[in-house]
Amino acid sequence: MSNKVLKASLLAGILVATGAVSTGQAAETPELGPLPALETDAAKANLGKRLFFDPRLSGDAAISCASCHNPEYGFANDQPLSPGYPGNGNFRNTPTVINAVHKKTWFHDGRMGTNLNDVTREMITEDYIMNMDMRLMQERVKQDPVYVQMFKDAGYGEPSNGSVRNAIPEFLKTLTSRGAAFDESAMSDAAKRGLNLFQGKAGCAGCHSGPMFSDGKPHNTGVPENLEIFRDPDNHQAFIAFNMFMGNGNYMQLKRDVGAHVRLHKADKSDVGQFMTPSLRELKYTAPYMHNGMLQTLPQVVRFYNNGGGEDKNKDPLLKPLNLTAAEQNDLVEFLLALSGEPLTSDEHVWTEPYPDEYEVIADWRNVPN
Amino acid sequence: MKLRTKPKRLALAGAVVAGVIVGLATAAEMPPLAPLGDPPIPADNIQTDAKVELGKLLFFDPRLGGDASVSCASCHEPEQGWAFAEDISRGYPGTVHWRNSQTVINSAYYGKLFWAGAASSLEKQAPSAAKGAVAGNGENDIMEARLALIPEYRDRFKAVFGDEWPLIGNAWRAIAAFERTLVQTDTPLDKYLKGDASALTEQQVRGKELFEGKAGCMSCHNGALASDQAYHNIGVPPNLRWEEDGLAQITFRYELYAKGVNEKMYRHTKADPGLYFRTKNKWDKGKFRTPSLRYTLYTAPYMHNGAFYTLEEVVDFYNAGGVTEDGRTTDFPESKSPLIQPLNLSDEEKEDLVAFLEAFSGDEILMAKPELPPYAPLFTEADLLLEVKK
Repeated sequence: MSNKVLKASLLAGILVATGAVSTGQAAETPELGPLPALETDAAKANLGKRLFFDPRLSGDAAISCASCHNPEYGFANDQPLSPGYPGNGNFRNTPTVINAVHKKTWFHDGRMGTNLNDVTREMITEDYIMNMDMRLMQERVKQDPVYVQMFKDAGYGEPSNGSVRNAIPEFLKTLTSRGAAFDESAMSDAAKRGLNLFQGKAGCAGCHSGPMFSDGKPHNTGVPENLEIFRDPDNHQAFIAFNMFMGNGNYMQLKRDVGAHVRLHKADKSDVGQFMTPSLRELKYTAPYMHNGMLQTLPQVVRFYNNGGGEDKNKDPLLKPLNLTAAEQNDLVEFLLALSGEPLTSDEHVWTEPYPDEYEVIADWRNVPN
Repeated sequence: MKLRTKPKRLALAGAVVAGVIVGLATAAEMPPLAPLGDPPIPADNIQTDAKVELGKLLFFDPRLGGDASVSCASCHEPEQGWAFAEDISRGYPGTVHWRNSQTVINSAYYGKLFWAGAASSLEKQAPSAAKGAVAGNGENDIMEARLALIPEYRDRFKAVFGDEWPLIGNAWRAIAAFERTLVQTDTPLDKYLKGDASALTEQQVRGKELFEGKAGCMSCHNGALASDQAYHNIGVPPNLRWEEDGLAQITFRYELYAKGVNEKMYRHTKADPGLYFRTKNKWDKGKFRTPSLRYTLYTAPYMHNGAFYTLEEVVDFYNAGGVTEDGRTTDFPESKSPLIQPLNLSDEEKEDLVAFLEAFSGDEILMAKPELPPYAPLFTEADLLLEVKK
């Protein structure tokens, strides 16, 4: 065989194989099921937990990661739009960080697809989120003897930006759903009926697939714009700054969240209004819903889809009226609730010890190395 | 191979000799004290009333900062000499700064701003302060977005700069224009130098003679601004707060880290290296720009780190040759200016000198804080509802 022929036959083989796989995907979406357990480094995760709840990681030391990702609300927030840094607002709903470690892309627009280390940096440094200069953060952490010991015990050595960005994701690994009725095969009859609808008549599993109940892709479901973004200048300023930074033209006149367009940049703008399929785990705690918190309850969400989603010229054609009865809608809600586990609100997942009121002075400062 | 170590010492000795010679040379050509004229106005940022008025609003507006709680005026308080009445400036919430806040009064005359001359114009000083993590901690994008959501600013930026939407760069221009109005040219010294012999007391006249002669102040504090705008290490010791205050220790290390020094310097530096940060020349360690002596009646404490709370302490420090009462001095003795030597001033002479220093200040310049224009939604409900239906 000549090289050319070899290449051609290899290519054909690949095409055939790919074709087979994609046919398989179309027929049956990735199987639903429990999330894999993750090994965590206890010392690093514990350090990450202390950092996650520490307001000293924000510019003016007023808010921590947990201020928006509140354990009481499933490590999300009960406000439609995230509160944001003092003096600022936000333009999107806080997603839960439970199971965030099982995702491949992050943020409602999926603009980050590397790792949680990068996501952590983005959240700490973004001006309308935590507005922290990480060099200053490093020096704050170094000033706290508890941290100095914890970093050492975790094998990081001296506290540094890099190890903060490593330890917080290690803590996030511990935030994996557990005990959900679905995972424990302990669903009620209603929830079981809901599962059948989910995979069948209601078509939810077309996008909400796999152990995360998400295809990890953006779709436009026609969720109405949250006009509080524009009515409240605190929110609007964050929206403008974000769109300015992401290179959206005409950001001053923009009256809608373009979603995944910020990374797909399709010339025909058919990607405007697409948002990443969220996981359906832990919904019990994370209301309100959708990328902008426009839907308050799960029955509202189900009704929204039963109507075929919202109105949008770019709406995904997968969305059609479902003609679900009231009872079927209830069953779907029951199923969705069966995807929520035990609340992660004990001190296993929450840092409960107080932080010092002020920074301890380093004694004999002139003689000890910085 | 002995030469490998020797030249260092020789070079140092040479530098000292050169320094003395330079010092003497400048003494000969020293610009005399002079009345202060109008400040220079850059051709690319001319003064207009509307621009100055806008700059005044922005100077007092905390929305030009990270969490919308600190404005320029937070560290440059009109009632605190347009500076901040503590040794080290207050800093952004959750932090403390690491240098003394300098007065805005007469800042228009400096070629470079900040203690080590890090900004080449007022237009560049303002964003550095508004954005620094231990000062304003703001970001351009969010600050510019805020301006756009304040209707009065939209109108004013349009009228002054022709901006379709307020540009953050023009905010700094307007603030600089406002700052160029904050000058004082009618001090007792100005009046005296213009011929009003009664403007100084006899004691102040004696102080002036010391200033120009025996005390050697004129070597650096010369010309109309009473500053040579050059950089000197006069022996100011590190602020004791760095030994006693955890928050100050954080900022100190942060500055070493953020301004970029090598590992060894990061680990072992315990005093502000000043000009060194810009030049990375070891002979610039501990050097700071000679501050004007104008308006100092209102701007205590003094020196780059606020080491002294009174002018008397300052004079005592110079009289001792750049050493404090308790024997402390710079951490960088190698770069200390040879111009700083014990002065052997008598108590009376010191009093005369302090009396003269007070002649560099006229009346206190006070200003009521302006009422700031409010935010308002950019779009009408009708606009928004129209969009929703698209």
